Amino acid sequence: MSIRGKTAIIGYGETEFAKARDSENRSNHTEQCHAAILAIEDAGIRKEDIDGLIALPPLGQTPSWGMDMAEYLQLQPRFIDNLYHGGAAGAAAILYSAAAINAGLCHTVLLVGGSAMKPGRIFPYDAQAVIPFVHDFDSIYGSMLDNSAYALIKQRYKHEFGVGEEPFAQVVVNARYHASKFPNALLKTPVSRQAVIDSPMICDPLRMFEIVMPCSGAAAVVLTSAEAAGRSNNPPVYLLGGGQSIDRGMWNPAYGRNPSLTTSPIKKSAAQAFAMAGLTIADMDFVQLYDCYTITVIIALEDIGCCEKGQGAKFVENANLTHQGELPVNTDGGQLGRGQPMGACHFLSTVEAARQLMGRAGALQVEGARFGLVNGNGGSMANECTLIFGNQIP
Amino acid sequence: MTVSSQYAKPLPGESPESKPYWEAARRHELVFQSCGSCGRKIHFPRVVCPGCLSRNLQWRKALGIGSVYSYTIIYRQGVHPGFASDIPYVYAIIELEEGVRMISNVINVDPLKVTIGMKVNVVFDDVTDKVSIPKFEPLQGKGLDKKASCQL
Repeated sequence: MSIRGKTAIIGYGETEFAKARDSENRSNHTEQCHAAILAIEDAGIRKEDIDGLIALPPLGQTPSWGMDMAEYLQLQPRFIDNLYHGGAAGAAAILYSAAAINAGLCHTVLLVGGSAMKPGRIFPYDAQAVIPFVHDFDSIYGSMLDNSAYALIKQRYKHEFGVGEEPFAQVVVNARYHASKFPNALLKTPVSRQAVIDSPMICDPLRMFEIVMPCSGAAAVVLTSAEAAGRSNNPPVYLLGGGQSIDRGMWNPAYGRNPSLTTSPIKKSAAQAFAMAGLTIADMDFVQLYDCYTITVIIALEDIGCCEKGQGAKFVENANLTHQGELPVNTDGGQLGRGQPMGACHFLSTVEAARQLMGRAGALQVEGARFGLVNGNGGSMANECTLIFGNQIP
Repeated sequence: MTVSSQYAKPLPGESPESKPYWEAARRHELVFQSCGSCGRKIHFPRVVCPGCLSRNLQWRKALGIGSVYSYTIIYRQGVHPGFASDIPYVYAIIELEEGVRMISNVINVDPLKVTIGMKVNVVFDDVTDKVSIPKFEPLQGKGLDKKASCQL
């Protein structure tokens, strides 16, 4: 019983992003509520039409987050969850919601994620300390969490494939180019490759401009059955395929089942998504990749099949990855350009895919876009979820 | 009241499955688990083999030699404030001769001299009177147990 083409996104919303220092009047609840209301209004549905809710818990919040949000908005869902899969959570939540709708558990699911940042440390030390094997065999050596994990992956990639810094800098150049044209981006100033390479070293070989800036913001989407989507005011954005693959834990890449740091589970999640959709990478008019660090874009491009393993660096240097190029990548600037609203970015790749496929991307519109790929990445390339969307069912 | 330790960084806890590992480290021995059913070598310590789910695990003593599989030089304060005075320091994946990988630090070397593939040997940092933490330094050939890995 495939879920291919059985559900569609009919509305989305994203709040105005803000830097941590500008977030004093925001809270986790206000952010998620604003995004939810924007998505409900965009979808043109009534609150009473929503019978499913997935609300992603902001960092450090209780496991009852979904129920708390249901109370805050006075929703009465018959399907609910609050996934925590790191950055793969949003894509996974859409995939599971599609399965639930298709199985008759609910009709219309509101999915929301996001948070309000406070200045200072994002991950308290305690987040790791509660997991004995992470604490005892990682934290005691002075981990920088995601920064050090992705630095290990980038270092190994550079070693295995003899790559310099330029391709990584080019990923940032592309992101900032799109961000400069994206109304809600926080990092609107275009940068040169040299500026990226000259930015301060944080966690060698990761430089400051290659690392996302966490910020406040939330995003939401409304997913419903394809049948109901046909009655929507917005052009339906059909979910055509999806796949997920996990091969290590959240915190570091040393101990996983997959011995390679440079081949990710995207190979499996994307293969499943394409097979379900009956499409290939050649059919994709754009891809929205989870770019928390530059290295994820290069590895993801390889593992979704744009080029051979080890050729991703050459690919980003030679191909035109802008909205007018042969393979538009992260057309809203991605996290490296617009900022990383924690929890919202899990859904923002899907929001941008929907924006493109509804033809509402303005100056960044990919002309004639029909099909697009979204990839969510959780942990240190540990948990990957790939979705294929289309504004038609081929 | 006397302060038992001035060590400002986090110390390993006492999870039941890793106790023998830390007891061995206190004796300046680096150990790992080996599966008696499928032969898989295992780190971090577990109660079952993550390959075949057998409970038949044995502790083995490692030669204490390995190489740097990947590494990063950390220039900003990490998650725990205790490491601030070490900056810049090397946080690395070490692949032991026996094949298991572990997170550790490479010490006693200019961080900029560290490379992937660099041969290293274990050194034990006696951080308190009860706890020794295995770290690695460029292969010296001194103070090493030359015996091959053996069953304890």
